[in-house]
Amino acid sequence: MVYLATCRENCSIRSISEATGISSGYLEQLMIPLRRAGLVQAERGVQGGYRLAKADITCKEVLAASEGDFEPAPCKNCTRTDACKTHQIWSLLQSAVVDFSSQVTILELASHLVESEAGGGI
Amino acid sequence: MKISTRGRYGLRLLVDIAEHANEGPIALTVVAKRQNLSEKYLQQVALLLTRGGFLTSVKGSGGGYLLERKSEEIMIYDVLDLLEGNIAFEEPPGSEENAIERVIRLHFYQKLDQEVKKVFEGLSLCEVTKAQWFTYVI
Repeated sequence: MVYLATCRENCSIRSISEATGISSGYLEQLMIPLRRAGLVQAERGVQGGYRLAKADITCKEVLAASEGDFEPAPCKNCTRTDACKTHQIWSLLQSAVVDFSSQVTILELASHLVESEAGGGI
Repeated sequence: MKISTRGRYGLRLLVDIAEHANEGPIALTVVAKRQNLSEKYLQQVALLLTRGGFLTSVKGSGGGYLLERKSEEIMIYDVLDLLEGNIAFEEPPGSEENAIERVIRLHFYQKLDQEVKKVFEGLSLCEVTKAQWFTYVI
């Protein structure tokens, strides 16, 4: 997603694979949930490929689409939740992670990438 | 990141002992029953927490475990750090880390870890048992 944010045109799976080091097969699989979540768009044809579906995509959206919601502990179907004080620690962890990753956008990360390239930081 | 069974059970053990601190040493059999956890597993975690300086064991009849320090002085971050080895999303860079991986590691995972650290460094076992801190959330 960070790489897509740096591209002006549609990107082929091959070019994404070259830039990120992720295998083409795995990228194809990743694109399915990302498309379903409305985060990337695919276009067929000669100029086809993938691009970000919108500008303000957050890390939280990408992680939720590709990995599911962040749950640090299996508290979901636990019957002790009300009485369990450690459950509150895990929900605090969960909100800290969700809050932070909702604040960081893919575009922001991409801007750091451009900076590091300009500074010869690769 | 998933918190391991060790991390989850270890904290339940500490919270249980902290909540019954006025009853003297707490036997693991009692905690196992109260928390519905395996006593064998609790023994392993208790040993780790004792070595880590959070619990102290009292031998003999009427023996069991006590908090090594006041619950106000036991920080959740330190407990998790011991039980989980290292509570972090950031993974050490591989030898062939590319520019994109590097940016995500430094500007997302590393900062996320700092955020999590900040939250749990300021949270004591005492606050968890009293549940006063819950007002923090959002």
